[in-house]
Amino acid sequence: MKNIKILSLSLLFLFTCLACTKDFEEINEDPNRIAEISPGTLLNPIIYGLATHNANRAASITFDLMQVSVPFPSVSGGLHRYDVSQNIGNSSWYWYYRWLNNIKEMRLASVKAEDPNYEAIALTFQALAYANLTDIFGPVPMTEAVNGEEGNFYPKFDSQEFIYQSILADLERANDLYNPEISMVYAEDILFQNDVEKWRKLTNSLHLRLLLRISNRSETNAFQKLSEMIQNPVQYPVFENTQESAILQVTGVTPNVSPWGRPQDFRLSVKISEFFIENLNLLEDPRRPIIATLASDLDNEPIGYKGIPSAYDGPESQFEYNASTFNIAQVTNPMKIFILPYSEVEFIKAEVAQKGFISNPEEHYISGVKAAIEQLDAEVPENYFESELAMYDGTLERIMLQKYYALYFVDYQQWFEHRRTGFPILPKTTAMDNNGVMPSRFTYHTDVQINNAENYRKALELLGGSDDISTKVWWDN
Amino acid sequence: MDHGIFEEVNLSIDLRDVLITEVFATIEEKTEFTFVFDEKISSSKQPLTLIVKNENLESVLGKISAVTGFHFKKLNNTISVFKTDVPQQILRGKVMDTEGFPLAGATVMEKGTTNGTITDFDGNFSLKLSGVSTTMLISFMGFEEKEVVANNSGFQEITLINDTNTLNEVVVTALGIKREEKRLGFSQATIDSKILNQAVPNNWSSGLKGKVAGLNIISSGSGPLNSQQITLRGNNSLNPNGNNALIVVDGVPINNEMTASGSSSAYMGGDSPVDYGNGISDLNADDIKSVTVLKGPGATALYGSRAANGALIITTKSGKKSKGLGVSYNSSVSFDVIQRWPDYQNEYGQGTGKSFDSDGNPYYSYGSSEDGGNTGSTSSAWGPKFEGQFFYQYDPELEGQSEERQLWRPYKNNRKDFWRTGVTTSNNITLQGGDKNGSMRASVGYQKNEWIMPNTGYERITASINANYQISEKIKIGSVVNYNNRNSDNLPGTGYNNGSVAYFMIFQNPNIDLDWYRPIWSEGQDQIQKIAPFSSYIDNPYLIAYEATNPLLSDQIVGNIFTNINLASNLELMLRTSLNTYSQDREQKRPYSINRYSKGYYQSQDINKQEVNSDFLLTYNKEITKKLGFSFSAGGNAMTYKYRRTDASAEGLVVPGVYKLANGVSNPIITTHDRNKSVNSFYGLLSLSFDNKIFVDLTGRNDWSSTLPKENNSFFYPSVNTSFILSEILNLPSALSYLKYRFSYAQVGNDTNPYKTSKYYSQNAFPSSATVPTTLYNADFKPEITTSYETGLEARMFKNRLNLDATVYQTLTKNQIISVPLDITTGYSRGVLNSGEVRNQGVELTMTGKIVKAKNFSWSSTLTWAKNWNEVLELADGIDGQQEIGSGGRATLIAKVGGTTTAIYGYGFVRSPDGQIVYDKKGLPAYPDEIQLIGDASPDWKAGLFNSFKLGNVALNVMVDGQYGGIIYSQSHHKLTQMGKLTSTFKGREEGFIVGEGVVLNEDGTYSPNTTEAITPDWYNRYYRRANVESNSFTASFLKLREVSLQYNLPSRFLGNSGILGMDISIFGSNLATISDFPIYDPETAALNGDTILPGIEMGQMPSPATYGINFKVNF
Repeated sequence: MKNIKILSLSLLFLFTCLACTKDFEEINEDPNRIAEISPGTLLNPIIYGLATHNANRAASITFDLMQVSVPFPSVSGGLHRYDVSQNIGNSSWYWYYRWLNNIKEMRLASVKAEDPNYEAIALTFQALAYANLTDIFGPVPMTEAVNGEEGNFYPKFDSQEFIYQSILADLERANDLYNPEISMVYAEDILFQNDVEKWRKLTNSLHLRLLLRISNRSETNAFQKLSEMIQNPVQYPVFENTQESAILQVTGVTPNVSPWGRPQDFRLSVKISEFFIENLNLLEDPRRPIIATLASDLDNEPIGYKGIPSAYDGPESQFEYNASTFNIAQVTNPMKIFILPYSEVEFIKAEVAQKGFISNPEEHYISGVKAAIEQLDAEVPENYFESELAMYDGTLERIMLQKYYALYFVDYQQWFEHRRTGFPILPKTTAMDNNGVMPSRFTYHTDVQINNAENYRKALELLGGSDDISTKVWWDN
Repeated sequence: MDHGIFEEVNLSIDLRDVLITEVFATIEEKTEFTFVFDEKISSSKQPLTLIVKNENLESVLGKISAVTGFHFKKLNNTISVFKTDVPQQILRGKVMDTEGFPLAGATVMEKGTTNGTITDFDGNFSLKLSGVSTTMLISFMGFEEKEVVANNSGFQEITLINDTNTLNEVVVTALGIKREEKRLGFSQATIDSKILNQAVPNNWSSGLKGKVAGLNIISSGSGPLNSQQITLRGNNSLNPNGNNALIVVDGVPINNEMTASGSSSAYMGGDSPVDYGNGISDLNADDIKSVTVLKGPGATALYGSRAANGALIITTKSGKKSKGLGVSYNSSVSFDVIQRWPDYQNEYGQGTGKSFDSDGNPYYSYGSSEDGGNTGSTSSAWGPKFEGQFFYQYDPELEGQSEERQLWRPYKNNRKDFWRTGVTTSNNITLQGGDKNGSMRASVGYQKNEWIMPNTGYERITASINANYQISEKIKIGSVVNYNNRNSDNLPGTGYNNGSVAYFMIFQNPNIDLDWYRPIWSEGQDQIQKIAPFSSYIDNPYLIAYEATNPLLSDQIVGNIFTNINLASNLELMLRTSLNTYSQDREQKRPYSINRYSKGYYQSQDINKQEVNSDFLLTYNKEITKKLGFSFSAGGNAMTYKYRRTDASAEGLVVPGVYKLANGVSNPIITTHDRNKSVNSFYGLLSLSFDNKIFVDLTGRNDWSSTLPKENNSFFYPSVNTSFILSEILNLPSALSYLKYRFSYAQVGNDTNPYKTSKYYSQNAFPSSATVPTTLYNADFKPEITTSYETGLEARMFKNRLNLDATVYQTLTKNQIISVPLDITTGYSRGVLNSGEVRNQGVELTMTGKIVKAKNFSWSSTLTWAKNWNEVLELADGIDGQQEIGSGGRATLIAKVGGTTTAIYGYGFVRSPDGQIVYDKKGLPAYPDEIQLIGDASPDWKAGLFNSFKLGNVALNVMVDGQYGGIIYSQSHHKLTQMGKLTSTFKGREEGFIVGEGVVLNEDGTYSPNTTEAITPDWYNRYYRRANVESNSFTASFLKLREVSLQYNLPSRFLGNSGILGMDISIFGSNLATISDFPIYDPETAALNGDTILPGIEMGQMPSPATYGINFKVNF
C-alpha cells in the first residue's frame, strides 16, 4: 500500500510538471534577434539597401534602355531592342516595398522618440522610393501599403497623381521638421555622417527632381513651385556642390562593399553602346577613360573608344573590332553610388531657367556639366565649352543631352527623364521590338496577379490602359 | 526403458512443488514397486509438480523423466533410478512447414531451460542437450508452437503447422508497444533488415524504395549524403517542409531537419547549397533490425504532433538470449557507375550561330584573329560543324589563342572524364550474447565512401550498444546508444549555380578539352587566378572539386536508457529518457578568382543540437472474463529541444588559400541561429478485446507547446482504432483462412517552429543596425489539426499462399501554420497564418504470393501499389484563390482551391483555339500573358514489385519499381537546349533557320500557318526559354530495376568444425536500369532550395549512378 501511495504521489508530481507551461513564454523568446529599435537602427541598412539596388538597376536596366551599354553578343531580343520581359520590374517592386516597410518603422520609431531629424529623413526616403515605384509602374499601393502588421494583406493601389501630391507634401513637411540644433545621436550614417544640413539639402533637392518630373501636368503648377523654391535657398537649401551631394561612398569595408561581389560581371558580355560613346568622342570628353576601356582592332591594336550600336541587326561578326566595354574600377571597392548628385540640381535649375521661370540658364547648364564631370573624378578641360556640341545653345535638347551624362548610373533617372522630355533622341533600328518606341512603363510584379488579384484589376482602371509597356503614366500624358 | 509391465497399474497423483523423493514415496505407497536410487538422485533439490489422473505408471514415469531427465529401469518390483551420465546428447534435426518447405530462423529450445538455437537457412539445427529435459519446444512466427521429445535417432524432422487462426505476428507500434498484428486497427508495414539491406545502400532509407505502398522518398541527388525526404500518403502540408514522416529510433524521435549552407535557392543566388545530410542519414543500416512504417495518424496519435504525417519506427538489433558469444562480421564493397547521360551532341562546336566569314561560312576564333572577331566567349554550341577544318583555338600551353590554326574537333568524353567510379567500403563487427536475464549487443562499423565526383566522399564510424538486464524479479533496465561520426574533406556544392559541377556540365562545349582545365591555376598565378579560358560564368571544375571545398565533421548520439518495473501483477511502469544530440563543424572554403568571390571567402558553421525526451508509461492489463480482455496505459512525455548555430564568415581573404576567419579582409560577420522549444504531453491508451475476435483501441493525447501563442498552446486529440477478425466471426470458405477488417479514426495536432508569435528585427551586418523581417509574425494562430479516416481489409488465402492487404484512407489537414506568400506591398513577403485545408485520399494495396513452394525451390512475390488524390479545399482566411508553395527557376508550385499542393504553374505556349502553337511576327513562339497549369509533380500512382527466388542455398531477390504520371520541369534541359548542347537541337542547323510548326494570329483575328523563318539559335532560345515551363517539362513516369541481389549461403556441412556457424556471400546492384522519357540523368529528382526539397523541379542535377557491389557475412 505504501508503494502505491509513493507511486501516486510521484505520478501526480509528474503530471503537474508536464502540464506546466509557465516558462514557455521565456522559451519562446528569440535569443538571436532584437525586439526593439531606435530611430537610427534601420537607417544604414535602408541607405545601403536602396543605393545598391539603384546601382544594380541602373546597370541592368537603364543602361540597356538608354543605349549606355549593350549586351554583346546579343543574338536577338534583349532590353536594348525593347524586348521587355514581364518580370523586368519584379526586383524593384520587391526591394522598394521591402525598404518602404523599414522606412515606415524608422518613421514610427522617430515619432515615438520625438526625433524630428530622423523623421524627416524617413519621409525623404519614403518619397524617393514611392517616386521611383510610381515612375516605373504608374499607380501603386501607397495609403494602404506596408500595413501587413495591421492586417491589411490586400492594399489598394493609389493613382500617380495622388502619390505625387502626398510625397511632395511629405517633402515640404520634412523640410520644416529638420532641426540642426538637435544632433543625430545614433550610429553614424554612411551617407552624410549625421550632418543634418546635408540631409535637409537632399530633401529639397529631391523635391526639385519630383516637381520637375510632373511639370508636364500644367495643373500642378510645378514650375511656379520650382522657381519659388530655387529663389528661396534659405527656406529650401539644396546641394551647392558635388561634395555635399547624395553620393554613397562605398568603402569596401564589410558590410559597406560593392554590390558587385564579382566586379567582372559588371562588364561580362557587355559593350559600350555606340550612341553613348560617340557623343563623348565628339565632345572629347574627359569621362571616357573613367567609364570605358579602349576598343581594339582584330590585331588587338587600340583604336580609341568605339561602341556597338544598340539593337543592332545581323550577325555579330559584322563588327570587325573588339568594342569598348566598361572600366571595371567603377564597381570595384572602394566605389561610389550616385543617389542624387549636385549636377542634377543644376540641370533642373537650367531647365527651369530655359523655360523662363528663373534667369541664367547657361550658367546653370555650365555648372551642371562641370559638376557632372567632377562627380566622376574627371577634370573639366579648359576649352570644353568651346566645342559646338558642348556649348549652351538655348535648347532643352542640349540641356537634356548633358543631363543624360550627369544621370549616368543614377538608378532609372535617365529613362524617366527621356520619357518626360523625349531627350536625348536615341537612334532607332529595324531590329527593335515595340515598333521602336521606348517603353513607357514596366508591367507589375508577376505575383501581384496571384497575391492581390482584385486590387490589381482596379489598378488597371487607375492606369487607364492595359498592364503593358506602352501605357503612359499620368505625368507622361 | 522396458515397456508393457507398468501398463496394468493406473495412478492418480496430485503433488505440487515437492522433492523427487516425495514423488517416489507417493508412488511406492500407491503401487507395489520400490524405487532404488543413489545420492545423486536424492540430493536433487529440483522442485517437482506432478498431477496425473488415472494414468498408467509408464506414462507417469515418462513425465517425471521429461522434467528431470532421470531414467528408470525395472527389475521385478524394483525400479532403479539413474541420472544420465552419458555424454551430452547432440540433437540434430530439420524444421519444415506442412509442405516440406524448410523454415529458417525457427527457434528450438530445450524445454524449461534457456538452452536453445535457431535453424539455419535450410531449416537445420543442432543443439547440445543439457540433459535437464528431453523435450524440445519448436516455435516460429506464424506457426503453432510444438513440443517434441528428443529421440535417439540423432536426426529428427519436425513439421510445424501454420497458425492461421491466431495470427500472433508481433509488431512494434507507437511508443515501442509491441502488439499482435491482428489487434491493429490501422495499416502498417514492417520491413525486415534483410529486405532493407539487400543492396547495401549508403543511406538506409534508400532501401525502402518501392517496398511500402504509400511511402514516397524524394531527394535532389545532391552528393554522397543525398538527403532524403520521406513522405507517407501524399503531401498534407502547404509547407513543402511540413510533410516529412517522423523517424523514431528505439523510441528516440529524430527530426528530419536539415541545416542549409549557402543559397536558399537551387537557382543561382549566393553560394551553392551543400547537402550536409539530415539527421536520419547517419544511421548504420547494419544496426537496424526492422523498420515499421505507420502510415496514418491513427497509428501515430500517441507520438504526438510530430507524427502527423506518419512515422517510421526503427528498431535496432539487440542481443540474442542464447548462451555463448555470437560474433558476426560483415564486409561489403560497392561501386557507383554513371550509366545514364543526357544525349550530348558532338557534331557542332562553340558559337552563337551568327558569326560568318566573308564567304558566309560559319567560323570560329578563340580571340580575334585574321579569321574574324572573337567567337570564343559564348557558352553556346551553335558554331561550325566539325568537318576537319582548322581554326584559331585555345592553346593550353599559351593560355591563350593558338599561333597556328588547329583542327576543329570534338572531345567526346569531355564531361564523362571528369567523373570517376565511386567506391564505398563497409566493415562491420557485431558481438552479442546473453542469458535468461538479459542480453547485450555491440557493433562497430566503418564506412568509407569515395563519391563519383573527384575529391568528394566521406568516412563514417558507427558504434552501437544495445543492452538490457533483468536486475531483479520485478525490474528490468536497458539502454541503447548509437553513436556515429562522419567526417568529410569535401562534399559537393549543388544546384544550378556557378559553384556546382552540375553547372559546368551544362556549360561545357564539345570543342573544349577537359584537360585544359586540369592545371587549375594559371601559370605563375597559383592560388590567385584560375584557368578559365572561356566564359567567366563557368568555374573551373577542378577548382570546384579541389579548392572550393566543404568539409564536415559530425558527431551524433542517439540513445536512451529505460527501466521496466513490475509494480504489481498486471501493472507495469516504464520510465525512459532519450537523447538525440549532434554537433557539426562545417566549413565552406572558396578560393580566389572563383566566380562568386574574386578574393575568396571562408565560412565556418558550428551547429549543436540536443533533444531530450523523458517519458513514463504505466500499463495495466487484465483479462476480465475469459472473453473480455482489457489493458490501459497512461503516459507522459516532456521534450526539450535546443539548437545552437553560429555562422562566421569572411568575404575577401588577405592571403589566398588560407581559410581562417582571422585572414579576412574585414572583421568576420557572425550570425547566430539559436532555437529552443519545449513540448509537454499526456496520453492514454485503452485497449479492449472481445473473445480475441474484436479489438478496440481508444487513445487521447494533450500537448502543450512553447511555440504556440499562449492562449492556444494546449491541444487535445483522440483516436479510435478497431479490428474485426471476420474469419473467426463469420463462417467463411476454407480457402479464405484469415480475414480482418479494420477501421480507424484519428486526429493529430501540430505545433510549429519557435519565435513566430512576436516581432523581431533581423540581424544586419552594419553596426548597431537591424532590418524589419520579411516574414510577418502572428500573435494568435492556432495549432494545426489533421483528421484521418482509414479502413482496410487483410486476407490470407489458400493456406497463406496469397495475402492481400487493401487500405482506403482520407486525411484532412486544417489550420496549417505556414508562412503564406504575401505581396511585398504589405511590407512583408510572407506571413505566418493558419492556412486552409488540404485533403488526401488514397488507396494502398499490397499483395504477397508464394508462387512456387517446392522442396528445393521457392518463389515469392510482393506487389505494392498506391494512389493518392490530393486536393486543396481551402486556403488561409482571406487568401484569394491561390497561394505559392515554392518555386524553382520559373516553375512555381501553386496551391489553388480545387487544385493540389504539387501543381506546377508557369508560362506555356500561346495556342490557337485548335491547340496549335501561336508564333509572333518574327517566327518565334509568342509570349503568353499569364502563367498556366502545366502539370502536377505528384504521380498518378506508384508501384513496386519484389520477387524472391530460392534454389537450395542460393537466393535471388529482384526489386522493380516505378511510377506513372507526374511531371518534372528541367532547368538543365532548358539551358542545354538553348545552348545547342543536345542531339535534339540538330534540326535547322544546316539550313540556318527554322519555320516553327504552328500558326500566326492575323490582324482580323484569324489564324494562318506560320511561314516566317527564324534564325535557328533564336528559335531554340525562344521555344525552350527558361520561363517556358511547358516545353521544358517531361513526364515523370519511370520504371527502375531498383535492386538485384544474389545470395549464396554456405551449407553448414562445408563449415565443419571451423567454429564458423554460418557464412553467406552476396552480390548486388541497385538502380541498374531506368526506363524514362526524362532527358537528364534521373527522373527521381527534386530541387534543393536551402533546407527545402521541392518536388517536380530539376535544378542542375548531378549524375545519379548505378551501384554494383559484393557483400560478405560470417557468423562465429
